[in-house]
Amino acid sequence: MPVTTKTNKQLFVNGLLNENPIFRLALSMCPAVGISTTVMNGILLGIAVLFVQVFSSCTISLIKNHIHPRIRIPTYTLTIATWVTVIDLVLAAYMPVAYKAMGIFVRLIVAFAIITMRLEVFACKNDFAPSFWDGMGMGFGFMFGMVVLGAIREILGMGTLLGYDILGFRPLLFFVLPAAGFFTVGFMMAIFNYAETLYSRRRKEEKVV
Amino acid sequence: MKEIIKITVALTISCLVAGSVMGGVFILTAKAKKQNEHLNMQQTMFGLLEPEPPQKSEFSTADLNLYNVYRYIIEDNDKTYLGYMVPVKQDTRTAYDLLIIDLKGKLTDQHKLDLLPEAAREEQDRGTAIANALGSQKRAKYADTMIIAKLNDKRVAYLLPGEFPGFKTFIHAMAALDADFNILGLEIMAHEEDPGLGGEIEKKYFKNQFKGKTFEKLRQLKVIKEPLPEEYRQYLERKISQEDMAGIGKKYQDADIHAITGATISSSCVTNGLKRMVKKFVYRIKILDRVISEKDIHSVI
Repeated sequence: MPVTTKTNKQLFVNGLLNENPIFRLALSMCPAVGISTTVMNGILLGIAVLFVQVFSSCTISLIKNHIHPRIRIPTYTLTIATWVTVIDLVLAAYMPVAYKAMGIFVRLIVAFAIITMRLEVFACKNDFAPSFWDGMGMGFGFMFGMVVLGAIREILGMGTLLGYDILGFRPLLFFVLPAAGFFTVGFMMAIFNYAETLYSRRRKEEKVV
Repeated sequence: MKEIIKITVALTISCLVAGSVMGGVFILTAKAKKQNEHLNMQQTMFGLLEPEPPQKSEFSTADLNLYNVYRYIIEDNDKTYLGYMVPVKQDTRTAYDLLIIDLKGKLTDQHKLDLLPEAAREEQDRGTAIANALGSQKRAKYADTMIIAKLNDKRVAYLLPGEFPGFKTFIHAMAALDADFNILGLEIMAHEEDPGLGGEIEKKYFKNQFKGKTFEKLRQLKVIKEPLPEEYRQYLERKISQEDMAGIGKKYQDADIHAITGATISSSCVTNGLKRMVKKFVYRIKILDRVISEKDIHSVI
């Protein structure tokens, strides 16, 4: 069984930058495009994904030896659905304020590709601690991506940031529409790819010297 | 063959475990969740009834008595009746009567319901009590609720929770009317409109436009595609001093509804939905009141 050799810190940074779910892996694009209209939406969905990802990753890493390999995907979906329901119910019961803001996002999560993919690629092969840190990295990476997208779209589409009026006018109303999400995601991906080429080229040059 | 049995067993066990976890959490949290929903609803209701600072309150919301009247649609073979579940006075406690009114507004039947006030809030308990009272031939379907707020013996307000189609899905809203059916306020409880566009219906500058419209005005309320004047916006968002409030409020008293930029459909959905809701309610409450006074029913509403 291939166990990861990365340290916990590397795993965390890996999710945040090198394998950022939205900009590098291009997973879970529906929410990234549909919901990232404001920074607040990004933060809330990010928190929701973070919790579900971490809990599911931990659960799967604990029970990985008992999962029949041919029904692993249904098992992952069940695990995610269970956690989503549990979080939804607990929020509704004990944190009504948070539930009011986050409720709809939590229920969206069951079908997120990023979570299933992390369970399949990472959690089912690794131990509890690395899975936890991988989940944290992916969750925060997703939140980071959503916040960046949300900030760009909110400021261009509505002229506000976190609800505060910054520009005083709406530059491009088009940016709050779902289609503009694709432009923003594409634009950010280009930046990430460009940064990676620059980085790897520099490392190559260093090696040559 | 062995493989398939293994898979079936594994999947069944996983489903059972997942199901029992979800069920367990549901049972543990159900009570608190219901409590929260109830609290939330109550907060919305009192928020709508509470007048804003410049106006003096004629009553404190704590003194109000709220009575729910539940409306049911009753099918008897091919005929349709309306059933109103009305709180009535019986000795010293509150009981419930089901008044069955035909489509022409005539009382055809009256049943006593075996229902305690605490149980009356639960849709399921109400349904059972009504089904028992009606017998097996008639079928009752819950339609909506109207809430009547009374101060001592005087009606001061009506609250109408309801839903109407929006741009995408249903918009759940609650309207408050005063005793003359003028609008006290509108609150959007839940919706799924586009954030940033139709989602703006829950913003103050939109929903406060309905505040203070008279019933006469509401009947012909239109949605206009004109930019919101700056002073009106400030007024609607309650960002101006209290002295200026009255003047600007009067100026725009009869203004039509300014559509939200980029969300004309959502704006007119709310306007028309509210119009329909209020008009139907006024029609219904008048019939109900007439029936109650004609037949001398000891209702508390």
